[in-house]
Amino acid sequence: MDFLQNTIASFISLVPVTLAQSLILAFVVLGIMIPFRMLSFPDLTSEGAFPLGGCVCGVLMAAGMSPLPAILIALVAGFVAGCCTAFIHLRFRIHTLLAGILMMTMLYSINLRIMGRSNLSVFGSATVFDWVPGLQPGFPASKIVMAGAFGLIVFALLLHFFRTEKGTAVRAVGANPDMAEAQGINVWLATIGGVGLAGAFSAAGGALMVQSQGFADVNMGLGILINGLAALMIGEAIVGKQSVLRQLAAPFVGAIVYYQLVSFCLAAGMPPPDLKLATGLFVLAMLALPSLKRSRGPAPARETVRE
Amino acid sequence: MLEIQSARKVFYKGQADEKTALNDLNLRLETGEFGVVIGSNGAGKSSMLNAISGALVLDSGKIVINGDDVTAMPVHKRAMRLARVFQDPMKGTAASMTVAENMLLAELRANKRTLRRGLNPARLAAYKERLSLLGLGLENRLDTRVELLSGGQRQSLSLIMAVGGSPELLLLDEHTAALDPRTADIVMQATIRAVEALKLTTLMVTHNMQHAVDFGHRVIMLDAGRVRLEIAGAEKTSITVPDLIGHFSVKTDRMFLAS
Repeated sequence: MDFLQNTIASFISLVPVTLAQSLILAFVVLGIMIPFRMLSFPDLTSEGAFPLGGCVCGVLMAAGMSPLPAILIALVAGFVAGCCTAFIHLRFRIHTLLAGILMMTMLYSINLRIMGRSNLSVFGSATVFDWVPGLQPGFPASKIVMAGAFGLIVFALLLHFFRTEKGTAVRAVGANPDMAEAQGINVWLATIGGVGLAGAFSAAGGALMVQSQGFADVNMGLGILINGLAALMIGEAIVGKQSVLRQLAAPFVGAIVYYQLVSFCLAAGMPPPDLKLATGLFVLAMLALPSLKRSRGPAPARETVRE
Repeated sequence: MLEIQSARKVFYKGQADEKTALNDLNLRLETGEFGVVIGSNGAGKSSMLNAISGALVLDSGKIVINGDDVTAMPVHKRAMRLARVFQDPMKGTAASMTVAENMLLAELRANKRTLRRGLNPARLAAYKERLSLLGLGLENRLDTRVELLSGGQRQSLSLIMAVGGSPELLLLDEHTAALDPRTADIVMQATIRAVEALKLTTLMVTHNMQHAVDFGHRVIMLDAGRVRLEIAGAEKTSITVPDLIGHFSVKTDRMFLAS
């Protein structure tokens, strides 16, 4: 009884901090969802684009740049990284996953080069979270408001875009690239643009994270991909993915629920080193579920993944 | 008008299994003409269609559509001028998208895509009307994902998508071969209605000799990557299935079955 009370008490005290964190990381989940679901392009770039955004933002803030332009430049850097991954895949016919691994490995060195060392403190620099009126800077509430506002804007813009003529064309590239091409859609442009956009969101998440935690670290992306994937799976399980609206809401809902779950596990005394194993097993279970449901027959030949 | 001028394509050049798919092929299809292409497997029918659509890059030769040389254009640029229905119903539609979204993609084939909302009420009404012509009930399933439709419904949708917007050239790649006889008949009738109503310049590849006899203005028989025989005019109207089969140098079981 005592254990339960302690667990719940420490969980509840962590809710605001966790919520702030999850709203920031929702951008990374978005950056994983767009290539994976909208373009059928399983992409690993976010593991490198997230720290890239953080490092770029950190260096710019340390140099005295104001926080919003720093985020925007980080966003552009992430966009370029995503474009590179897509280009490697399209031009050299390298599998999307391998292209992503190449990119994130190379980005590690690039991130180190950008920062000049493995971590950089920007504590005390102005951040976008200081701008929330009526709240004391540095507290979770201002982060929740600011990150939530950014999230809402991005959500609304994406929801509009994927229902426009251009956005429908981008989704067609994911649904059936041969058909999309035969309908006059430039598959290269849509893929490069889409994966670039995803990289931009991952980098924006990294930049916001750096402003939130007050330091940038080249290792801050470690394991972010599997966390994001777990969040996406949870989100899709809750809101579904049958329509553009649901598919776009899934990353946000998933990020919020997933990080609360993690926080609960930690509050219940789960050793942090076990977290990755638990997350990995969870993602595996979610991915395996459809094939387990489909009776005891042999596993399907393979999922249709673009090569 | 479609012109293919001495198109040449060799696969696996210089290797032991070198294969000449198109051997200086020449073909001319007048505006509004309906050509039916027959030939045994490996005669170059698919290669020819792929060369026209841009999916296959020629070693040499030219593809001209309505006077414009499109040889150097990629598939998505040529899509402004031509539409294609594939043999495989899966290929011509986006399975995870709805019927209406697929119609939208087809409508925008020849147009510039904007940042305005895609599926507006006016469009939905227009799609409903066009789909109702098929008589398959697709007009009431605009929000259904295409993957939930039957093969025949998907192929009918592909056809409606292809003929919408009156493309300068319509390519039909054995588009009824994967369907059961009754559905194949429905799709074929819908094809003929659309082609005649819109006076489309059409090139249809088929293994069904009865279709070759019944439809089109001209039968074009391919063999070893070139045109072996063309039958048009009065000769076309009087030809029979056995006549056509007699022209095949390699008779495959599939053709006997199809006839």
